[in-house]
Amino acid sequence: MRATTPYRRREAIAFYLTIAPWLAGFILFMAGPMLLSLYASFTSWDLINAPIFNGLGNYRDMVEDARFWQSLKVTCIYTAAYVPLDLAGGLMLALLVRPRLRGISAYRTIFYLPAVFSGVAFVVVWVWLLDPRGGLLNLALAQLGVQGPNWLMDPKWALPSLVLMSFWGWGRSMVIFLGGLQTIPGELYEAAAMDGAGGWQSFWRITLPLLSPTIFFNLVLSIISTFQTFTNAFVATDGGPLDATLFLVLYIYRQGFQFLNMGYASALAWVLLAVILVLTLLVVRSQRFWVFYLGDRPE
Amino acid sequence: MKTAYRLFSVFLLAVLLLTACQTPTPIVQTIQVEVTKIVAGTPEVQTVVITATPAPTLAPTTATGPVVIRAGTGDSGEGLAPHQTIIQNFEAKNPDIIVQLEPVAGSDYYARLLTQLAAKAAPDIMQIGDDAVPNFVSKGAFVPLDDFMKQANFDPSIYLPGLLDPGKYQGKQYELPKDYSPMAVYYNKKIFDAAKVPYPQEGWTWDDLLATAQKLTKKGADGKPEIWGLQLTANWTSGFEYYVAAAGGTLISADGKSYVGHMDSPEVIHAVQFFTDMYNKYQVTPPPANLNQWAGGNQEFANGKAAMFIFGRWPQAGYLKNPNIDLGVAPLPKDKVRANVLFWSGFGISTTTKYPEQTFRFLNYYAGEPGAQVWKDWALPAVKSVADASGKTKDPIDGVWINELNYLTPRAYTFTPYWGETADPALNKALQTVLLTPNADVAATMKTAAQEAQTALDKLLNK
Amino acid sequence: MSQPIFETPILQPRGLHKALHYLLVSLAALLFMAPVYWMISSALKPNYEIFANPPVWWPAHPRWANFTEALTYLPFGRFAVNTLIIALGSIIGHLLSCSIVAYGFARLRAPGKGFFFVLLLSTLMLPYPVTMVPLFIIFSKLGWINSFLPLIVPTFFGNAFYIFLLRQSFKQIPLEFEDAARMDGATTLQVLWHVILPLSRPALITVMIFTFQAAWNDFLAPLIFLHDQSKYTLMLGLSFFRGGYDINWAYLMASSLVVTLPVIIIFFFSQREFIEGVGYTGTKA
Repeated sequence: MRATTPYRRREAIAFYLTIAPWLAGFILFMAGPMLLSLYASFTSWDLINAPIFNGLGNYRDMVEDARFWQSLKVTCIYTAAYVPLDLAGGLMLALLVRPRLRGISAYRTIFYLPAVFSGVAFVVVWVWLLDPRGGLLNLALAQLGVQGPNWLMDPKWALPSLVLMSFWGWGRSMVIFLGGLQTIPGELYEAAAMDGAGGWQSFWRITLPLLSPTIFFNLVLSIISTFQTFTNAFVATDGGPLDATLFLVLYIYRQGFQFLNMGYASALAWVLLAVILVLTLLVVRSQRFWVFYLGDRPE
Repeated sequence: MKTAYRLFSVFLLAVLLLTACQTPTPIVQTIQVEVTKIVAGTPEVQTVVITATPAPTLAPTTATGPVVIRAGTGDSGEGLAPHQTIIQNFEAKNPDIIVQLEPVAGSDYYARLLTQLAAKAAPDIMQIGDDAVPNFVSKGAFVPLDDFMKQANFDPSIYLPGLLDPGKYQGKQYELPKDYSPMAVYYNKKIFDAAKVPYPQEGWTWDDLLATAQKLTKKGADGKPEIWGLQLTANWTSGFEYYVAAAGGTLISADGKSYVGHMDSPEVIHAVQFFTDMYNKYQVTPPPANLNQWAGGNQEFANGKAAMFIFGRWPQAGYLKNPNIDLGVAPLPKDKVRANVLFWSGFGISTTTKYPEQTFRFLNYYAGEPGAQVWKDWALPAVKSVADASGKTKDPIDGVWINELNYLTPRAYTFTPYWGETADPALNKALQTVLLTPNADVAATMKTAAQEAQTALDKLLNK
Repeated sequence: MSQPIFETPILQPRGLHKALHYLLVSLAALLFMAPVYWMISSALKPNYEIFANPPVWWPAHPRWANFTEALTYLPFGRFAVNTLIIALGSIIGHLLSCSIVAYGFARLRAPGKGFFFVLLLSTLMLPYPVTMVPLFIIFSKLGWINSFLPLIVPTFFGNAFYIFLLRQSFKQIPLEFEDAARMDGATTLQVLWHVILPLSRPALITVMIFTFQAAWNDFLAPLIFLHDQSKYTLMLGLSFFRGGYDINWAYLMASSLVVTLPVIIIFFFSQREFIEGVGYTGTKA
């Protein structure tokens, strides 16, 4: 698509003008660190002294590094489980708190509250709750006659435990879905009802399609951020037990700041970026099949 | 957008109000720089205005005014109080120096420190832990102290045994001690008295330990232990070095090049076997609460449900205040060897400091007798005379810790700077494996661990 | 005239549906509050009671003093002011810059646009532990270390997350409004200000809430850019309680709860605006 007409040319100039603030910031604050870390990935860097060039050494080491493959596996499995659940859960909560019932604003706040707690405290509470012997969850299960697993202590259950913990973060996508639901014109539902459509039908035919821009947003961002999960693993499990929850960013942090291998850590980070980029591109490309904007203009 | 505007104005109002509630500070002229400190335990912010040529971020440089040196530490919370007291006392005696403390809690400390080092913006005096010393020193982060010590007539014999060694690297002294702890056996007199078992004495062995633990373990009505004999430290690798040393083994060769033949030696296997048997065979030790927390995160001893606990001195203050525990401390039992290991952190001078002389003055004060005088109220003092004078050497509890310093064996990390990267994860994994699988083949597990560590080490050594 | 979706009667449950709805949402709320309840109850216990087995549901003698003690242990008031300044600066920065950039991505056509969009997203894909060292070096050379500048100035240059969010929202606005304005001779900025922004209130409030929350909860960036204790933010203050072996859990829980309150309060009071605000009016030309 070339800017052939003067109108289109002006439009193109307008585009570059509008993104200029971001572009300038990118050049000033992002391009530098990104390029520096890319360079670092070809070096050996202990942070105390300057980086020493070593070519593809880090990448070659990565192929043979069992821990790297384990962390890639852990991160991919977690993301594959977390993302759909986050979208579905957030949407479910949003639908639950959408109607204008009395006191519903309190409920919305309650659902959003756990997503807001950041840092150590909330994760620590979860570690206590999931304690196999003294924690509330297993005690509650025992009341029902079920012997709870060892949760964060069992290599098979540690990752599912983290997935379970992540449910309490649904409030965040709930908020975004609530905003998205807002943009659907109400009379569409009335018209559908008059045509005899039931609740389920109007959900599939009206809500979901018109919510697709929001779903697209949540999907892309969920993928990008879940691949970079760090804090929960760092605080709750430190990658254990037996590397069952060794997330890639946690491994990167360890290599960089505990083993003083910042060059290798940078290489790991760029591999992560490549993986996320490919997945994101796939989703972005798939837009035309399922994302539909109310105010779209043919590109 | 009305609500948005309203919310903004609320913000602005909040900011103004809160700022107004602070004590107004004088408008800073270009020739005055504010150094602020916060005092743990109070919501105060103390400000000191000094005359200096301003530098935007780091220590202002001046020939005439006081010098500001930055001290980085990984302590925080209540642990800051002794630092601040020592700083206050030092500044009173040395009006030409102001010390700005930069504390960061625990694990994040290194992330910040390394970032600062990479930008050559590190503090003048930095605290690091024992196992980080070889790494940081070999990479040139610290200045050797021997010349300073000679000039200042520093007397190394003032310290209790073994406390200067962790700060040495290849024969030179780089760090001076801040605080330290060996290991010992905590015991709860309440449980011992109730079971009419005599308290542990010096010279007791691993067999005695097991027998005592078995006598103290009491099963409840459901067959599960209500009272445990002994709480252990799960997959804590550094603490495990005591068991290895006591069994007469080593985890690594003296030249720091091989794990095979050491980590899988019969002595180490014996130590691991003894350790896991306490958990799985004799069941005198509660299973780890959380393998991902330091030392297994067990709370039984703190809850008064375990009779003994082998660990370092860190939780002692809390135990003394705990109504569930009537605390006693006993020497470590011996197996083949009467051994102990030391955990330590110290302060050193950064190579990028602009004020080495002033920084050493502070370091000398801090690590010497004046600092120890303050530290004795918070931890074990490093200086012998202070320990004796304060009665700690003879104290029934603290005296035990000090006495343990006579049995120290070198820590594994001193043999290779790659310990943390190669052996530590392998050993950690091995300990987790034997703890999680009741019938694990210990010999095979240790062999795997040694191989894993060796492969990783060979790779690094051949670079 | 189009009704706001939340006033659409057909979507409001009534009768039995209403009761069922309340039941469902209350059950979910109980589940969501469970960990928070445990935080509150832990905040009120003396430290050794927190790990008691069997667990203590509610302490016999709740130590309300834990809250006041934890908050006066360090100058949290000062930390709050610092964090507010950073949050306020970030909100202004984001709202100003992200709306302009998002409009470009949403509406304006240009060669290379797809490339820049992917570049935009890619800035989110490099984990912070790896970018923070080069960033620190850059800011150190600029002399901005130990000030709020590294935390606020970049927000005036946009943030991929919010640009993307606003882009999605802008693309939902029917084209007729803008076309009408352009036919009246409006420039891009005028279209943005007079047409797009008023119709995007929910999205803008969302940006505000999330920016506030992000600034409030940010830990790593303030950790490395601020080393003067008087400039510390609330999250850095909270980390003080994690020092040493004898972690003061009760203080940590108490202070975490209080520190989170402002974010919750802001969310609670903004709900009307961005959830129940007026939707688009008149899609028919």
